[in-house]
Amino acid sequence: MGGMHGFGPVTRDPSDRSLDEPPFHEPWEARTFGLVVATSAKGLRTGSTRPSIERIDPAVYLASSYYARWARGIEAAIVAGGSLTSEEIDLRAATAGGGPTRSNATDPELVAAIRGFLNRPAPTSGEPVAAAFGVGDRVTVRRMASTGHHRCPRYVRGVTGTVERINGGWPHPDADTSEAVYRVRFDMRDLWGDDAEPGFLYIDLWERYLS
Amino acid sequence: MSDDHETDRAGDQSIARRVTAIESLLVEKGLITSDVVDAVVETYERDVGPLNGAKVVARAWVDPDYRGRLLDDGTQAIGELGFGGAEGEHLVVVENTPAVHNVVVCTLCSCYPWPVLGLPPRWYKSFAYRSRMVREPRAVLAEFGTELADDVEVRVWDSSADVRYLVLPLRPDGTDGLAEDGLVPLVTRDHMIGVVR
Repeated sequence: MGGMHGFGPVTRDPSDRSLDEPPFHEPWEARTFGLVVATSAKGLRTGSTRPSIERIDPAVYLASSYYARWARGIEAAIVAGGSLTSEEIDLRAATAGGGPTRSNATDPELVAAIRGFLNRPAPTSGEPVAAAFGVGDRVTVRRMASTGHHRCPRYVRGVTGTVERINGGWPHPDADTSEAVYRVRFDMRDLWGDDAEPGFLYIDLWERYLS
Repeated sequence: MSDDHETDRAGDQSIARRVTAIESLLVEKGLITSDVVDAVVETYERDVGPLNGAKVVARAWVDPDYRGRLLDDGTQAIGELGFGGAEGEHLVVVENTPAVHNVVVCTLCSCYPWPVLGLPPRWYKSFAYRSRMVREPRAVLAEFGTELADDVEVRVWDSSADVRYLVLPLRPDGTDGLAEDGLVPLVTRDHMIGVVR
């Protein structure tokens, strides 16, 4: 989305009074979010959330609300995981009313584990890894015509910036082993041209994106 | 299509039925239990929200040693107050000064420091905010009522990898007499995203 135009002003939700906008506006949004975490914890879907969201048809993506995109994403991932079929979801969605079925069974161990995962301090993440670039180095973001999930927005590709920090290493979404991630600082004029607003843009980029 | 909550409401009703169908089927097959989904929802409706971040900021305002630790290793210092977890595994705190203003966005989707701010507000996830904040931050800030002097350096942070960012705002003038508890209510989510100064 970075740098695209035509989306108009940023508008606030009427319920947004700084601290008290509720996290969910409709019950189904809350259940969608809960299902994202619960189905992941139970191993009921294949892949992670964002790639499944990014595989949504672009026109549908732009026409869908935020949690609708999540819902479409996890439905595809649950079906791919094999525990439900599209046909049984279609059938149930066409006939069911009201809220979801409530289970009599409970799973207190998993509840405790999830509460810990969501809300328990841990040491700072990021592996110590070898880094090809150092703080202060000038780096240029590679031009890429990537397909599928990636973490390099188009608007920084081909632009030169300065390494300001080595954050540590994380696996790139395509890989299993950790790779250095750099904080790169860009001058707004290098991103957007001479009439850009003055200022600086900071973004974290995997080493594979840089040259 | 100026904002994500103005998009396809009829489509949302159809999606709502599908979500209900999915949860019902998973429960009926014994693959999940309702209490697990409930626990996730309750965490963000009840336990984790911007009050956590406000406590971090207030502590930094009254305790210079804590402020130093917070800027050095945000995850560790925030963990001292008991906050941390999913989407907060590597927290970096960026400090506003009279000469610098920081603001955070995620152009790819909705990266956000959950343990200190909870889940993001709708406008943060909107196409307008995601597309424009990296290109015309002063114009977007003005829409939030934030006018910056020309000599203030604007720093926009696009969260695109595993680090999550929290802005440490300037302590307001005239608050020298307030203790930590009195400062907490002055800190809003919008200060800590950086759309207000």
